[in-house]
Amino acid sequence: MTALLEVEDLTVRFYTEEGVVTAVDGLSYRVEAGETFGVVGESGAGKSVAALSLLGLIDDPGRVERGEVRFKGEDLLSIDEFALRSVRGDEIGVVFQDARAALNPVYTVGEQIAETIEHHLGYEPAAAKARAIRLLDRVGIADPEARYAAYPHELSGGMCQRATIAMALSCEPDLIVADEPTTALDVTVEARILELLAELADEFDVAVQLVSHDLGVIAGTCDRAMVMYAGRAVETAPIEELYYDPKHPYTAGLMSAIPRIGDDRDRLETVPGTMPDLIEVPSGCRFHPRCPFAEEACARTDPALVDPETGEAATFDDDRAAACLEYTEGLSGGLDYSVEVDGERGRKRGGPDAEAGRDAGREGDPDA
Amino acid sequence: MRRIYESDALRRDDDDPHASAERDDEGAIQALRSVPATALSDRLVPRGLRRRFVSVDVETPRREFAVGEPVPFVVTFRNRVPFPVSIVTASPLPWTWSVDGDVEAAAADVSLRDPPDEPGRFAFDRGERKRFRRRWDGLFRVTDSEWVPADPGEYVIGAAANVADADASGLRAETRVRLVE
Repeated sequence: MTALLEVEDLTVRFYTEEGVVTAVDGLSYRVEAGETFGVVGESGAGKSVAALSLLGLIDDPGRVERGEVRFKGEDLLSIDEFALRSVRGDEIGVVFQDARAALNPVYTVGEQIAETIEHHLGYEPAAAKARAIRLLDRVGIADPEARYAAYPHELSGGMCQRATIAMALSCEPDLIVADEPTTALDVTVEARILELLAELADEFDVAVQLVSHDLGVIAGTCDRAMVMYAGRAVETAPIEELYYDPKHPYTAGLMSAIPRIGDDRDRLETVPGTMPDLIEVPSGCRFHPRCPFAEEACARTDPALVDPETGEAATFDDDRAAACLEYTEGLSGGLDYSVEVDGERGRKRGGPDAEAGRDAGREGDPDA
Repeated sequence: MRRIYESDALRRDDDDPHASAERDDEGAIQALRSVPATALSDRLVPRGLRRRFVSVDVETPRREFAVGEPVPFVVTFRNRVPFPVSIVTASPLPWTWSVDGDVEAAAADVSLRDPPDEPGRFAFDRGERKRFRRRWDGLFRVTDSEWVPADPGEYVIGAAANVADADASGLRAETRVRLVE
């Protein structure tokens, strides 16, 4: 059965004077209908570029150089702008990182939601307004009739983000692409927005591609996740397997870098070094200069994304995949790390921050 | 739909001394603050001639490197004339570097990238010097996923603007390095 979204061999490059930045290099993944799929990685890994290129939102000098983005079987990269506009906002909703910047400052938030409804669903203005007010109410904005006429600067950051989620949901899309929707928000507001997103995704049966650099956010919200490094996918797995049995050293490094309450280590573990310059990526495995298990072969062979059990090339149907030579040629020293799990296993939806942030609302602004 | 100019935000009131005064700039002659010099230069200077104004140089910090040691190098493009010039390039890729003629030390059948089939522009301000730092890691890419180390010996590191006949136009430069055991 065809997945809702299939991205195959997506390659996006930016042609700059400094050099050619390969932001996304041969990326392939799928998102099933109704699932929440996480894309995680450090800044500069290519997560946002991958998300924006699905919708043709890459600006010059960026080019989608290769690949296919099949949404319900149709390649979005080969359709014209007019057809893409009817998909964007209607069948695929977008929630951007900085909601206040994403909203037009000279229109009221209600008008912006209503405009989407009028454009895509052909509603009369009065009906669109009524639907926009219902959506504002549904995303938890108090006194939605009054807020309909508010400009973005009159709302808090969390309320603006709720308004953009309402806008993304306004046409009942099948997929929402959420590009770091909580990065600009504080932790308690973040937890509520994520909770809302998860709740609405269930209620509207909409799939979500959630881009984040925060492993806690991904753990609390997603069904499956893909870890990106220097424009490539290095690991894909169902969320519990990713956290409890990471197969790629980069994923394991990210896990060990998460601070935990009650941790008695003097210093937090870090992944040494920084993400490579995407103009001049290292030879072989892109992670090898930072990998504690790297051997000579890692600098000479670029590992393919494979099923870690069989070592065979990963396909769309594989839930589990990792790009490390350990699973094809084998490293002489192996991957010498282990994962220790303390406490109850298997918490989903919301996470610890969601619990901390609940019930702290103030009248009028649920995110205050 | 209510627009910003229908709101109070842009209210102008002659009776209110604190309100912003209305200004009518229509038809006002303003000082010519800048000349679009690059566009002007593009129109006045023939394409063939523009190439002669730009020089290229490749430098390494030393001549000898150990096998396996990365070789850093600096590519400098310089506009030698006191007015802006731009070079029309074959694609949006402005320039390339190579080792012994292999672009980015990769075999000819390795697909490095597939730039769009449209011309690009490599623009320089007057007398501008553009410096790019790169590093050859002492490996040759032989397939899409395999690299092999370079043997000891002499290698030519070159850089060229992405134009046809870069050699003849003086838009290519090279330097030699020796890899030793």
